[in-house]
Amino acid sequence: MHIPDSFLPIPQAVVYWLIALVFIALALRWVRKEMSEEKVPLVAVLAAGVFALQAFNIPVMMGTSGHLLGGALVAIVLGSPFAAVFVLSLVLIVQGVLFGDGGLTTMGANIINMGVIGGFVGYYGYYGLLSLTKSRFASAAGAAWLACIIPALAAALELTAAGTFPLVPGLIGMGIYHALIGVVEAAITAVVLGLIVSARPDILERVEGAPT
Amino acid sequence: MISTRVLIAAGIALALVVGIGAVFFASSDPDGLDSTALVTQGQKELTQPANPGAAVDGAALPGTFEYSAPFAEYTLGGSKLADAGLMAAGTLLALIAVLGIGRGLKAFNRSRSS
Repeated sequence: MHIPDSFLPIPQAVVYWLIALVFIALALRWVRKEMSEEKVPLVAVLAAGVFALQAFNIPVMMGTSGHLLGGALVAIVLGSPFAAVFVLSLVLIVQGVLFGDGGLTTMGANIINMGVIGGFVGYYGYYGLLSLTKSRFASAAGAAWLACIIPALAAALELTAAGTFPLVPGLIGMGIYHALIGVVEAAITAVVLGLIVSARPDILERVEGAPT
Repeated sequence: MISTRVLIAAGIALALVVGIGAVFFASSDPDGLDSTALVTQGQKELTQPANPGAAVDGAALPGTFEYSAPFAEYTLGGSKLADAGLMAAGTLLALIAVLGIGRGLKAFNRSRSS
């Protein structure tokens, strides 16, 4: 779901960059003030994992493939949506600058979609579903699915405003394909969460005890 | 319960396996955004694979910017082995970037509070 440079006119891309910069500044403040120092290596490993998983496209039917976005996973494991903004911003910078996966002018929009919307929907979706289902893995899977499809619909609206996609076909295409890709997102998020919980249950217990 | 050191090492190893595996096993089908672009450009039916030779027309919008990344499409244009090395480097670069900036910000915070 990396929007390339050619899909957004520069004036609109600048607006998305300015919005993204506000959230990047808040995320850097969260790292500086809220995140504990011993979590820094764990955050870095999650970034490496998100980078690798975003390159691994899996077929999802209808001649389409998809990959993990990672916003929900990072926000849930680290206990803050700003963790997702921090990690996804840096991953998207590496991908965009070195590998051409997502544009430079459109990086602000990509950070908003995958980092900000993905992170906030994933984080608050997780705690909302957790209060309803009482199941950590079902909640993580549900939140991850939402954190895939809602950013996709946001991207469709951005591309409609840009004149790249017509509104209804854009929403239908992005919605249907990312509803399928969201199943991959949900499965990977639940599996990775399961691995972390089985290896180090204290990591999630600490963040669940004090949601921010 | 495993130690933090082992967890970190296992996480890095897993990320490298996935990243290198992507070179050999990732699907070449268009992703959701590209599939939608192909549908809206008449090169793909919504529920069908893209037409043979279909490619997203990226030059459709005036007033956009184009940047040529040094390793576009995650490839060096040679062997798969070289691309695997590139993916491993990219994975480690993401790790180092977050580690460096995270540590730098925490050090900055310590120096301001002392």
